[in-house]
Amino acid sequence: MPNPPKSGQVNPVSRRQFFRNGARVAAMTGLGALTGVLATRGTAAGWVWQIDPAKCLRCGNCATHCVLEQSAVKCVQAYAQCGYCQLCTGFFAPEPNELTTAAENQLCPTSAIQRTFVEDPYYQYSIDENLCIGCGKCVEGCLRFGNGSFFLQIRHDRCLHCNECAIARVCPGEAFRRVPAQSPYLLKSVAK
Amino acid sequence: MRRISKFGWLGGLLLLLLGGVARAQLLFPPPEFESGYRMPVTTTPPGRALWLQYLDVGVLAACLAVAVWLIYRPRSRRGIFWLSLFSLAYFGFYRKGCICPIGSPQNIAYGLLHPSYSVPVTVVAFFALPLIVALFFGRAFCAGVCPQGALQDFFLIKPIKVPAFLEHGLGLIPYLFLGAGIAYAATGTGFVICRYDPFVPIFRLSGSFFLLAAGVSFLLIGMFVGRPYCRFLCPYGALLKLGSLVSRWRVRVTPETCTQCRLCEHSCPFGALREPAPPGAPAPIPGERRTLGWLLVLLPVLIIAGALAGRALSPVAARLHPTVALAELYARQQQHPVVYGVMTPEALALARMAEQPGTVLEAAADLRGRFRLATAIFGAWFGLVVGIKLILLSLRVSRTDFEPDPGACFACARCFSSCPSERVRRGLPVVTVQPPVPAAASALAK
Amino acid sequence: MKPEFKLLDRREFVNFVSRSAALLGLAKVGSESATAATTSAEQTSTNAFAYDVSRLQKTDPKLIAYEEVTRWRSPRTSVRQIAIGPGDQVHVCAGHYISVFNPQGQPAAEVALTGPADSLAVASDGTIYAGLRDHVEVFDAKGQRQAVWAAPDRKSWLTGLAVGKQDVFAADSGKRVIWHFDLAGKLLGRVGEKNASQNAPGFIVPSPFLQVAIHADGLLRVNNIGRHQVEAYTFAGEFEGAWGRITTAIDGFCGCCNPIGFALLPDGRFVTAEKGLPRVKIYNHVGEFESVVAGAESFPENARACNGLNDCAHGGLDVGVDGQGRIYILDLVTSEVRVMKPRA
Ligand code: SF4
Ligand code: SF4
Ligand code: SF4
Ligand code: SF4
Repeated sequence: MPNPPKSGQVNPVSRRQFFRNGARVAAMTGLGALTGVLATRGTAAGWVWQIDPAKCLRCGNCATHCVLEQSAVKCVQAYAQCGYCQLCTGFFAPEPNELTTAAENQLCPTSAIQRTFVEDPYYQYSIDENLCIGCGKCVEGCLRFGNGSFFLQIRHDRCLHCNECAIARVCPGEAFRRVPAQSPYLLKSVAK
Repeated sequence: MRRISKFGWLGGLLLLLLGGVARAQLLFPPPEFESGYRMPVTTTPPGRALWLQYLDVGVLAACLAVAVWLIYRPRSRRGIFWLSLFSLAYFGFYRKGCICPIGSPQNIAYGLLHPSYSVPVTVVAFFALPLIVALFFGRAFCAGVCPQGALQDFFLIKPIKVPAFLEHGLGLIPYLFLGAGIAYAATGTGFVICRYDPFVPIFRLSGSFFLLAAGVSFLLIGMFVGRPYCRFLCPYGALLKLGSLVSRWRVRVTPETCTQCRLCEHSCPFGALREPAPPGAPAPIPGERRTLGWLLVLLPVLIIAGALAGRALSPVAARLHPTVALAELYARQQQHPVVYGVMTPEALALARMAEQPGTVLEAAADLRGRFRLATAIFGAWFGLVVGIKLILLSLRVSRTDFEPDPGACFACARCFSSCPSERVRRGLPVVTVQPPVPAAASALAK
Repeated sequence: MKPEFKLLDRREFVNFVSRSAALLGLAKVGSESATAATTSAEQTSTNAFAYDVSRLQKTDPKLIAYEEVTRWRSPRTSVRQIAIGPGDQVHVCAGHYISVFNPQGQPAAEVALTGPADSLAVASDGTIYAGLRDHVEVFDAKGQRQAVWAAPDRKSWLTGLAVGKQDVFAADSGKRVIWHFDLAGKLLGRVGEKNASQNAPGFIVPSPFLQVAIHADGLLRVNNIGRHQVEAYTFAGEFEGAWGRITTAIDGFCGCCNPIGFALLPDGRFVTAEKGLPRVKIYNHVGEFESVVAGAESFPENARACNGLNDCAHGGLDVGVDGQGRIYILDLVTSEVRVMKPRA
């Protein structure tokens, strides 16, 4: 493996060799010190990106700026916070013709919200994550007129965990932050 | 370290629980359903399992070991080729390029300056392992483990020689990029190295048009200029280059004696092979010494000039930080109001800032201060790099054999089979004609 | 100068110069394209998914029948409700306090509470009734605590209070019921639960804004917010009728749950307050729309009623009326009180 030094070139080669060895030892020491410093900081298993729903401004970038074709950001429902309203302002357009699930009455551009009758006068609203594009339109509707139970979250089964989230840097609310991978969601309310 | 992290964990959990309780108390109760309806729970699908991340580190270590072995023991181009294809599949198309060693210096810099971000073990490993290997064996990572390198290598068809001045000039860009990446990470702006990685969008088969186009252009250029990203842009490559320069063992065309037959001269597609020093009378030493002396004087001048130039550029550089950008947008808005559309990001950001303009302006001023320091250091760093480059260029060549420049050599093993001594050593038929230009595909046909 | 350069060999010098020139050029191109990119991004920024209600936020000026007399900001935040007592003293519950102002907005007194109050009523003798989440506390006009009533239910969330000559009614958003007490706090009955024999449809309360008032006609009025109606009940709980219609149009109530607050003018007409499109309007005694006191454009901050809060129980407006028919609007976001009088 090592290359035998050529005869007759002993002097310069060994001087260079000495430099190289010194530099290598220094570099290894530096690397060791660096890892040491990082280790004392309490090295967590990892971080993932998440949206703080209290800071999200529903700007629409989440739908368009994820590196994935279909954004990893989806709307989620905090059921415990939902009013189960018959006129859900997250589901219906601001002035619906009638309170039916016909697409023209719906707010969601992809009809990703499922409305199911629970009991008079209550309806449950859930998100079909295969359809939702994370545009935040329903989130704004629900916040403005309703209880604010819809909110956007990065779904970690879809997210690629980019070292730098491509949406984070264009988020006007600076709502993205790294959260510990053990508790990767910033949920709006906890179920009872 | 274990204890600290465990306690941090507990504290986090406690906070979470407390927060949860406080919130639950605040929460207005949902209706009381009579039909026995049970409220669903918001699902929280977990991210990638931790053991899988450790597996990534394991695969990285194993690949590095195999690469080192392939380069030094069987000295097999074929083996390196297959290993790099595996790495391309695993780290590239399966892991989609994140996290990779190329971006890791940013995590390290960010972690050092932001105590709230503890750098994950896996990231430290991705940062350190290829570097340690480089310090002992050269750029084995580039040879067979880096998916970005493998992708470019795969497209290499007909390498042309890059003129020396371009090679050396463009070769400074990686240091520039590395410095910028670290400066932007240290100021908490973001990870620009990841942002402008041209190949990760190809691994993901999605991404911005600009980056996909950049990736494709790099591959097209890479058909003729071997590994253009690795040589002229890759910031981690700059670190590996520094490491390899002082590596314990070096890649050689042949472990046997070089007969100076010049058959290997054009076998390196990356222009890494260096001629031995011309035989005969060396240049007069005093002249050389004087050049060196002047360059040594020039070095601090370059560093100071770089620092000043960097500092002068800091207002522009700071603009990449979202908070500074918002503060500037706000200031422009005060002078020439522009009406932004309903719920556009700008309108919303401005409205957010209007609630507390003072805090944002203060934060921006603080950041600008940090940028002045960061860009000055960045400029000084670049001055240092240029100065050292000039000094190295003026040093006398001490090579007696054709051998790869340890910094520039990717350890791809292409040159090995062009050496007749090597072929004899390995019992291969000795070709007298220069073998066709080595490309990824022709690697198998040796 | 000259000899120094000779020390560098010519080729190196040329290389160095050309390198620096190339780098400088590159840097220039880079910075130019960066500025070009940022400025163009600025101009082309759109939000294809905007939830646009700007059209609904404009009110026809012809409909506006009131003008502002004065306004002041409550020194304490987290304001929740407003009630006007004898002598037109303005009572505002704000967090752990009840602040009392004179009609010009000068602070007159302050009552400290043991917890945050969500509802408030002032009797004609100046006695203050405050609803603290699940129970009522009573204070005399000087702010001395007189009584603490037992919580009617574990889930109670009192969001509205009304005091009559012998009765106190408490609107409970948590239990979706109106509790009927006597002045001593003895529970007399429950009003408004779903009950076919009394024709009561039941309250739908998606958010904690159920309120109650005693009308001069002797009936109770309750804002059934989930049905977007104001309903009338006898003290015994018999449903007597309702008015109100769901629409974002100016004559109806918008959103999922409105009106979130209301008050009665001396002549029996209604003042209503809405959230979502924050607006205050007047309806006549049978519920026909009459005029606008203040439209959504008057409360720009209120549009972000929910921002940063875990549930949206803290946005919107509340209204009160004094003896001269002036209307007091409490902005729950900015903690401002605005006093409105009919336009001359
Ligand atoms: S980019 Fe930010 S503000 Fe915009 S929708 Fe996403 S989280 Fe909300
Ligand atoms: S508007 Fe919001 S709170 Fe109301 S039903 Fe829809 S999702 Fe639930
Ligand atoms: S409106 Fe947008 S965010 Fe809401 S469910 Fe539909 S696609 Fe998802
Ligand atoms: S981290 Fe990457 S994949 Fe995940 S949301 Fe951000 S841009 Fe999308």
